[in-house]
Amino acid sequence: MADVIVDARAVSRTFAMPAGPVHAVRDVTLQIGAGDHVAVRGPSGCGKSTLLHMLGCVDAPSSGTLLFDGKDVSRLSDSKRSALRLTRIGFIFQRFFLLPMLTAAENVELPLSEAGAAKRDRQERIKELLDYVGLSPRADHRPSQLSGGEMQRVAIARALANRPQLLLADEPTGELDEATGAQIASLLDRVNADGTALVIVTHDSTLADRAARVLMMRDGRLEREIRR
Amino acid sequence: MNALRFAWRSLVRQPARATLGVLGVAAVGALLLDMLLLSQGLVVSMRDLLERSGWDIRVSASELPGRGGRVSSATRTAERIAALPSVKAALLVRIANADIERSNGSPITAVFQGVSGRSTRAEPITPPWTVVRGRDARGPGEVVIDTAIASAANLEIGSTITLRANCVGDREALPPARLSVVGIADFPFAGTNEDAMGGSLDALKAACGGNVGDEADLLLVTSATEPNQTAAAIRAAVPHLYALTNADVVGRLQQTGFTYFRQISTVLTTVTVSFAVLLITVLLTVSVNQRLGEIAALRALGFSRSRVVADVLSESSLIVGLGGLLSLPLGVLLAAGLDRILKGMPGIPAELHFFVFERTALALHVGLLAATAVIAALYPMRIVSTLPIAATLRDEVIG
Repeated sequence: MADVIVDARAVSRTFAMPAGPVHAVRDVTLQIGAGDHVAVRGPSGCGKSTLLHMLGCVDAPSSGTLLFDGKDVSRLSDSKRSALRLTRIGFIFQRFFLLPMLTAAENVELPLSEAGAAKRDRQERIKELLDYVGLSPRADHRPSQLSGGEMQRVAIARALANRPQLLLADEPTGELDEATGAQIASLLDRVNADGTALVIVTHDSTLADRAARVLMMRDGRLEREIRR
Repeated sequence: MNALRFAWRSLVRQPARATLGVLGVAAVGALLLDMLLLSQGLVVSMRDLLERSGWDIRVSASELPGRGGRVSSATRTAERIAALPSVKAALLVRIANADIERSNGSPITAVFQGVSGRSTRAEPITPPWTVVRGRDARGPGEVVIDTAIASAANLEIGSTITLRANCVGDREALPPARLSVVGIADFPFAGTNEDAMGGSLDALKAACGGNVGDEADLLLVTSATEPNQTAAAIRAAVPHLYALTNADVVGRLQQTGFTYFRQISTVLTTVTVSFAVLLITVLLTVSVNQRLGEIAALRALGFSRSRVVADVLSESSLIVGLGGLLSLPLGVLLAAGLDRILKGMPGIPAELHFFVFERTALALHVGLLAATAVIAALYPMRIVSTLPIAATLRDEVIG
């Protein structure tokens, strides 16, 4: 395997619920390397999103160890985890979560300005990213003026703003029709081909079939891995 | 995009909510400003009024001038006081009510101030009024009147007025006196709806048919030295009388009548600030709860906890800041209206103001609003700072 970005060692995630503990992820061990293209599949509630959140350092394992670039994430402070997510990890969501009061360009600018990029660098990067996702003509449009596919492309541009090593996508085509979903899938393929490791949680078999590795989950466990 | 600009865009995104917040703070801020102006306004205004009058000490038979009996043996008392080394001049003031007859219409009831000055230093003695036209009254047949009387009775300088004075009791039946108007004057201590006229003590005695006795309602004293020392010297010379400096008068009023305004102001200030805090807290909490998914997404994208907290605080500061700015002109307008209403109370000098603009009040206003912005943002800031990112993202998708 290429350089390991994320190394999950026997990670589990348990939620305390009134009716008793819920084991969302149980004893999962996996590695994501640079340039990997991974799809995570499984029935609803099997723990795919929870695993993705742990890989993206927005949730911490209840047990086990998660190393990002060799560093134990559980030992990092909240601000260091935030900085890690800002510079090394990109997220795209099923519901896009673009800020409706900002234009496409401003949405893409957010992670750049949070990372302290200079204005000129920000402007250049925004243009580059909107060109990359094919939305330069829509730079000044607000999310309400964009279609679902366009919103997801803006979200992808935003996720790539700080050149992350790892892009995590949670049902990125879940809110899109088949044709638009295919366009987004192609764009994600291109992102991966350009060197960004990609982990996609999806029910969409056509999207999963594009991945080099497919992780099948059931009841919180990694049932099997298919490599192509 | 910094937190302030981000907060501004968040506000503009929901103009109705933002407008509601800003207008709410403006209304509350205006009330707050007025309460702060009221808390010290009377004191500041009274101090200014007393100091402008040119008299340093008031000698009376009661603890507060004008609220008790009269000074007996007034002439001799005035002479004794004027003879003190630290006194420049003393002015004996006797007050009577007078009905000024009008050729067409009912008589005008006015307060007639008769004065008599004493000075061993040949100091010029100023009366408790300011002549604005004509000259001051000198002889027993002359008076000055205020503009309201002049207008209502159609009097001019040189006119003769006929009045019936009421000098000792309510049931006097004195013959009318005829006096010549020699000037139009301002009477700063006259009430808003009170007509006033002034002249020499001899003029008052003439109007009263000599029925005034040797009594004074008040003795006004100009000090040659530090007023407290002079007041002490007067108290030593006439121990049965009260000698109050301007600061003493203000202090007594603070302890008595003015304290009610201060208490009311404190209570209303607390209520208005609490209301502002609740209003902003509710608006921000609703706003934050509507955006939990977006906030969780920003956190997932690497926005730090302190950054999302700063966004909320900035939003609160913007609402309170804009509302606070708007509250200043609103507060000044409201204060002017309230001042007019309150000055309609009987016995309030026309030149006394309940609401007086002061830098300290403005600074306190700004400070309280700044504290409001911070306190109001505490709860919504707590929501965003403790927001579980993963759980919120999951809930948003399920929802």
